[in-house]
Amino acid sequence: MPKSIHIDPSETRTRGVLDAASIQIHAYDRSISDEQSVRGDAELIEAYRHMLLLRAFESGIASLKATGSFGDLTYAYKGPAHLSIGQEAAAVGAAMALAPGDHIYGSHRSHSEFLAKGFSAIRRLGDNELTSIMEGHASGQLLRSVETHLSGATPTEMAENFLLLGFLAEIFMRANGFNGGMGGSMHAFFPPFGAYPNNAIVGASAGIATGAALWMKSEKRDSIAVSMLGDGSTGCGPVWEAMNFAGMAQFDHLWDTKGGLPVLFFFTNNFYAMGGQTNGETMAWDRLARIGSGFRADAFHAETVDGTNPLAVADAVSRQRAHLLEGRGPAILDIECYRFSGHSTTDVNAYRTKDEIAAWQAVDPIQSYRTSLIDAGLIEDAAAVEMERQTDALIQAVFRAAADPDVSPIVNIAQDPTLIGRKMFTHGSTPPAHAPSSPLIEPAKVVRIRQNAKKSRSGFDNDGALLSPLKAITLRDGLFEATLHHMLTDPRILIYGEECREWGGAFGVYRGLSELFPNDRVFNSPISEAAIVATAIGAAMEGARPVIELMYADFIGRAGDEIFNQLAKWQAMSDQSLSIPVVLRCSVGSKYGAQHSQDWSGLAAHIPGLKVVYPATPFDAKGLLSASIACDDPVVFFESQRLYDRVEQFQSAVPPEDYHIDIGIPDIKRIGSDVTILTIGPSLYPALEAAELLAAKRIEAEVIDARTLVPFDYDKIIKSLEKTGLLLIVSEACERGSFAMTLASNLTRFAFSVLNAAPHVLGSPNWIVPGADMEDTYFPQPADIVDTVMIDLINDQKHTQIGVRKWNDISLAKEGL
Amino acid sequence: MSQVELIMPELGNEITEAQVDLWHKSVGDSVAEGEEILTITTPKVTMDLEAPATGTLTKILVEEDDIAAIGAVLAIIDR
Ligand SMILES: Cc1ncc(C[n+]2csc(CCOP(=O)(O)OP(=O)(O)O)c2C)c(N)n1
Repeated sequence: MPKSIHIDPSETRTRGVLDAASIQIHAYDRSISDEQSVRGDAELIEAYRHMLLLRAFESGIASLKATGSFGDLTYAYKGPAHLSIGQEAAAVGAAMALAPGDHIYGSHRSHSEFLAKGFSAIRRLGDNELTSIMEGHASGQLLRSVETHLSGATPTEMAENFLLLGFLAEIFMRANGFNGGMGGSMHAFFPPFGAYPNNAIVGASAGIATGAALWMKSEKRDSIAVSMLGDGSTGCGPVWEAMNFAGMAQFDHLWDTKGGLPVLFFFTNNFYAMGGQTNGETMAWDRLARIGSGFRADAFHAETVDGTNPLAVADAVSRQRAHLLEGRGPAILDIECYRFSGHSTTDVNAYRTKDEIAAWQAVDPIQSYRTSLIDAGLIEDAAAVEMERQTDALIQAVFRAAADPDVSPIVNIAQDPTLIGRKMFTHGSTPPAHAPSSPLIEPAKVVRIRQNAKKSRSGFDNDGALLSPLKAITLRDGLFEATLHHMLTDPRILIYGEECREWGGAFGVYRGLSELFPNDRVFNSPISEAAIVATAIGAAMEGARPVIELMYADFIGRAGDEIFNQLAKWQAMSDQSLSIPVVLRCSVGSKYGAQHSQDWSGLAAHIPGLKVVYPATPFDAKGLLSASIACDDPVVFFESQRLYDRVEQFQSAVPPEDYHIDIGIPDIKRIGSDVTILTIGPSLYPALEAAELLAAKRIEAEVIDARTLVPFDYDKIIKSLEKTGLLLIVSEACERGSFAMTLASNLTRFAFSVLNAAPHVLGSPNWIVPGADMEDTYFPQPADIVDTVMIDLINDQKHTQIGVRKWNDISLAKEGL
Repeated sequence: MSQVELIMPELGNEITEAQVDLWHKSVGDSVAEGEEILTITTPKVTMDLEAPATGTLTKILVEEDDIAAIGAVLAIIDR
């Protein structure tokens, strides 16, 4: 797309051969004495102690799951246990090569990776930093528990105990867990040590870590993001989307700060997904590292590494880290190792032989490493035994403290029934003009801005006639103005999606923006809806405020996990220690048939944790988008393509300056006393036309535009119903399971005493959206609204139906319609 | 000498009109074929139109900020 890149047919059509990079397999060949001189003895011995701690920690969980007890502790742990016993060298080796400011984003099997990263950060952070981190977490309460029940002679020891207790209490979902008990085994994390969210969705960390790296690059940080993945995740589309995104050529050619994203895709390759064998059965690759060649001549520096040796892993990770910091990212590591434990505690090993397990146990990373330390004279046998005794005793004490409700309180929902609910949204908002950023050129020089300046701010001319969208501010212009304001006043705003730069977004909302801002503020993403959303979440976790565009609501399915599991849930799963201020703009199409015309706002509203906005006028669109961008919670912002050219018909003007409209407040667009018509999105306009037709029959409709689906303030609607007693809800979504149905059911409860008839929902029928010429038989039209009011609400026997909806809902339902 | 018309081009099946934003040339100026001489906009796109021939811009028929239908003659070039 950028005109600077010329595609020359004579060049592209020239005969040639593509070279693929050679990929190293188990290239590590340093001796322990080499390592001693590079790292010093203490670090090598610490690596051993860390592996012992991981093994003891997970053995404790394994024991609780298998027998209900661990040492002298009896405790029924009900949650998941995806253990990594056997994989400790991979976790500890990676952590050895990472700085505290490097961030790991984990998987369902990340207990060891989390702890190892924590231990490594603790070793590198100073006493004062450690103390302030511990005092700063939960007002120092967790630290107090550590002091009382686990102690520690130095801040470092104290911090290790703090890490172990905060993590295990989280696994037990206790209130003093790192994430307030809202995360648990598969989702725990603690950012101050660089351990970012683990993720129960296979492969999900790839996109999130990529977004984190994007923001690290933008902030020119000297740090990297690591996505901790399993070999099974190489079968996940979103992982491939993330890898491609991370390696986009534009980072080298079109961004001011050159270089690929500093993200390492760290595959802990234990040869199995649950029971499916990756190499040989479920994957096409013969060696995992080969996947790097699918992208670039440098194969993302992919390498296969011996994951049973922490030093081989540390060596590989530090070399990759250097590549990333030099701007030669992304990178891939295939860390071969073996999990001795089952996938989970219900695993009966039906898919592998005892011989195979025994063969790998013979190269147990902890035993092998211990032998090499003893052989090199770094530790004596007796000291190694004593170290193991001490780590076992410490882990026992941590388990007792985490299980004891007096130390680690149960999250008491009975005492505070909406406790979890309050974690969904912060309802916070960033102040305007956070920090002005300067555009590339004077905004007044941009055609779009020059033209908007000449346009009428009202939709009507002096004679009251509706103006052309070329002459008055449209809904599209309102969205542009809100975006521009935030882009100019907050450098954390980052805009991307498919065709967002020169094209101006698929529907021209951003037209002109690319003249003002370089690629690191506005860029074209690949056609990777999953990566678009996932990277926005990762960037937000690192401090950005991304505004991303999905071309059509119909494409939400392509980013299903990212929107429904990731965007929606991390604020609550993090006990609100993470804020996810992402705005996902999403157009609702028409005219292109069944796969480009669906209103899926109800899907988004169904998912707890998303604010959902759907404006219908330029004034509302501008004020609500501005409020959404300022909002600290994730917002899904729907825009009807049919309304982009609408001019303002309700307010006297769309103010040129920035303003916010509170998210969650419906707006009365026409006052009436006989029937309340509540509309969602573009249904406002047919409802207003219907209101005029009804007025001719002396029925005055009050038309209320919902504007927002989540949150929703019912007060205005209840007040209106006190006056009218009749309710019709109109929406373009299919009726079944729609948000209109939720409104109808809630309003039946909330306003039953003032209703004169059952509320009615008029949505689209439960079949595919037909082509352009048939659309008016599908989306509710003014005639359909009049019919519903006259027949279903007013029960006027004399009314003859004027719309096409001649069917019976009860018999349609029997047909699945 | 012959006259060549600069015409408002087709801009997609839903677009019926577009606005003249900025003339980069004035009446009397010489223009070269392929040279961008005018910026037009629709609600969705901004684009520059090229001179259809080399010659002199002799008439501007749609002024800045005015709206013209698709197919309308915007200017005349004498060559
Ligand atoms: C999207 C998704 N699909 C399936 C699962 C169920 N599941 C959990 S772990 C797992 C295997 C993952 O294998 P791999 O990535 O190799 O990691 P490992 O379990 O071996 O550490 C599966 C299928 C899931 N959590 N998420």
